Amino acid sequence: MLFNTPIFFFFFVIFLFFYGFIFLRQTPRVYFILVASLVFYGAWNYKFIPLLVGSAVGDYFFAQAIASAGNISRKKLWLTASVVMNLGILAIFKYADFAIQSVADFMTLFGYEASVPMLNWVLPVGISFYTFQSLSYTIDVYRGDMEPRKGLVHFTAALAFFPQLVAGPILRARQILPQMHAIPTPKWNEVKHGFLLITVGLMKKTAADLLAKPVALAFDSGGPVSLIETWTGVLAFAGQIYGDFSGYSDMAIGLALLLGFKIPLNFRLPYLAASPVDFWRRWHISLSSWLRDYLYISLGGNRNNHRMRNIMITMLLGGLWHGAAWTFVVWGAFHGAIITLTHYLGQLPLFAAFQRGDKRLVKLLKWAVTFYLVLLGWVLFRANTIDGAWSLIVNMHSFGGLPAPGQVATVIFGLTVTAVVLMHLLDRFVLNHADKFENKAWLFWPLLVIGQLACLMIGEPSSEFIYFQF
Amino acid sequence: MSSSTSSSERAGDPRIFRKTLLVILLGMAAALGILRLIAELNNASKEGILERVTEAQEALPAIIALEDELAMFFGSSMVHAGYSPRLFDQWLAEKGITLKSFNFGFGGLNPYFQDYLSRRIRDEFVANDRRLALAMIEFNPFQTTKTRWNGALPAVDSFLTMLATDAELLEIAKEDLTRGVRLFTIRYFRNDISAEIITAQFAQSLQAPPQRSDIPVDEEAAARRDEILEALEGKLAEDYPDYNGEEWYWPWQGGPTIPSDRSEETVALIQELMHTGLTDRRMDNDRLNRIRTADIIELQFEEILVESFIRIVENFKEFSDHVEVILLPRNTDWIDYSPEGWKRLEKIIARIERETGIKMLNLQDTPEVTPDMFSDTTHLGRYTGDIAFTRLLADEMARSLNDR
Repeated sequence: MLFNTPIFFFFFVIFLFFYGFIFLRQTPRVYFILVASLVFYGAWNYKFIPLLVGSAVGDYFFAQAIASAGNISRKKLWLTASVVMNLGILAIFKYADFAIQSVADFMTLFGYEASVPMLNWVLPVGISFYTFQSLSYTIDVYRGDMEPRKGLVHFTAALAFFPQLVAGPILRARQILPQMHAIPTPKWNEVKHGFLLITVGLMKKTAADLLAKPVALAFDSGGPVSLIETWTGVLAFAGQIYGDFSGYSDMAIGLALLLGFKIPLNFRLPYLAASPVDFWRRWHISLSSWLRDYLYISLGGNRNNHRMRNIMITMLLGGLWHGAAWTFVVWGAFHGAIITLTHYLGQLPLFAAFQRGDKRLVKLLKWAVTFYLVLLGWVLFRANTIDGAWSLIVNMHSFGGLPAPGQVATVIFGLTVTAVVLMHLLDRFVLNHADKFENKAWLFWPLLVIGQLACLMIGEPSSEFIYFQF
Repeated sequence: MSSSTSSSERAGDPRIFRKTLLVILLGMAAALGILRLIAELNNASKEGILERVTEAQEALPAIIALEDELAMFFGSSMVHAGYSPRLFDQWLAEKGITLKSFNFGFGGLNPYFQDYLSRRIRDEFVANDRRLALAMIEFNPFQTTKTRWNGALPAVDSFLTMLATDAELLEIAKEDLTRGVRLFTIRYFRNDISAEIITAQFAQSLQAPPQRSDIPVDEEAAARRDEILEALEGKLAEDYPDYNGEEWYWPWQGGPTIPSDRSEETVALIQELMHTGLTDRRMDNDRLNRIRTADIIELQFEEILVESFIRIVENFKEFSDHVEVILLPRNTDWIDYSPEGWKRLEKIIARIERETGIKMLNLQDTPEVTPDMFSDTTHLGRYTGDIAFTRLLADEMARSLNDR
């Protein structure tokens, strides 16, 4: 049940009717959110509902046990149990086949040809998101950052809350649980902002779908394409993944606002980043901050002498979080490497001065280098194999020997650049001018209808959300 | 299990939700209203898009009401251009078989869409307790390829809502609720027009221009062709003031005109057009276009379309006394399958014959129809190819019906 499908529209209208007019009291409303969220989740595959609920029940009781444990070793024991449960679920459903295949591939290096049985299990939608969300609760309780809250249904409803269930943002228990215990009544200005975010999200998602074709030409055509088409494909993927994922996040935040819930921002103009570190402060903020708070800091963060190691481990695992394939691992390693390199170079006086520079040309240069590196990263992320990624990167820098471009290649390149720029302009407008815009009713509502109309008129067959596979 | 919040505590003022719901419903109604208006203004509707199909469907009750023994040739635009029902009926009558036949050939419909159309035809016949004495079904190899299917993807849901019944959409919904709801929404809220079909229409100008032939333009022939076309336009209108070439025209039984419909001047002009218009460059461009849009040389078949074709045959079997599956003549000067293409075609023909139990009548390389009888690389030409093919078909069908 994707947010941009008619079935979700009907689901949400019916949900809102019952939510707003029938379940007027807090506790029944929480029960209703839970049931509706499970229906929403079950629409993909009802067989995985027990896994979601089991995850919630497990972590609910682990958190209680951590809080009531008399000494630190018992607290650690219960936390370990929670980590093992959550990462175990991920390991089995997401990484088992990858591990088996990798071991088999490794053995072939030594001449052992093994026919290994694969599990071939279906990946439950949203598993990477809700396991991390659930885990944050037990870790926060263990660290004393929050008190465990009573109310299993409230916790389960918070974890399963349908706007953010399948593709984030990854909410911390301390962000969502208090809201579930005292569901806020939305204010009209929040509702208006919610409508704006939903429309902008839909528009970005629609634009992302249109970018799928140039992406496929560069990444899936099986042979080299022209230089301009290669760059178009890479740029288009940058736009596609941004529009797809940030669009989904915007819709999630907007839908939650209509119900009175506040979900924090997940993207902040990432392609305007001026350094790799800056990029990760703007891209998938809920994941990068989760990795920072629960992994990087747990490894020692900046405080010990292993900062570079900690960054590399964090980024490697961050890459692996996205998918069970070596391309994601290499993508994570690449980002780890450019972040550590940035930190290392920052210790050199000349580079440090460059990093601090705020002249227009310096800023432009910093942005260009960062964007170029991010694009190289996207090649690793999107390519079907590491060899394929390498070929594409070589082609991006080959000025001879590639096929001639198609006759509309330049137009498509121009449109792709326009789409990526427009997405950012739209986001910048929402970030900086939404308040004023939302108060001009004569402009706000007609433009929202036009935005919806555009989404009703533009469509590509078989468009899915990319991040659902994670 | 306890909660920190009392269940008796009200969650808030419901008026905000009333306003929110109202905005959602009004906003969506406004967007859909404008969408339908734009569609209307652009003639984007079932009637506008499936013009000939709609008209043929509308003619079905009248066809069924006839007292004659009925026959139908069902297929693609190749049938539309190449089959003359009136000549067929006349020649068959000369062999002692009296039938009234109809041309149900439609451009732009691959077997997936044809399957649904054939179900509607079947429904109409079954509901009226009528049968076809003879059903002729074209198997068109290049309409059944992966390339053809991929090219049609943006139109699938729109065409489906135009051609399927609610019960069929419900069956889809049982398998895939999301898709089912989407299809019902397209049917009842969007007047059959999906976003994909609109986008495909707008994006046409962004498609890479087709590969053009290296053969130089014959300027003299092109100039003469323009002159003939201009003259022909006037003559056609003179012969039939209400002429509309793509219409399913009742007096012609859905087929093209025959020489006796036309003045001698018109026939002469058409024949001259055939001779001067078929330049090598034009034909080569047409061939390249067929390769690009239909994989006409390699013939990589699409399973969905092959299965759909088999269902078409099964649908016709339900209300027909005799069913024939026919491969129409091929323009051998311009279209030659690759060795792999040939193998794939032979394999698919064998499969269709096996699964339908009907031996295919393969007229691809019949000597009675020569390359100069085509109006392009695939369609038979008017007053040449259509006549030759229809006569050949009448002979074959007479033999087949007599052998029963």
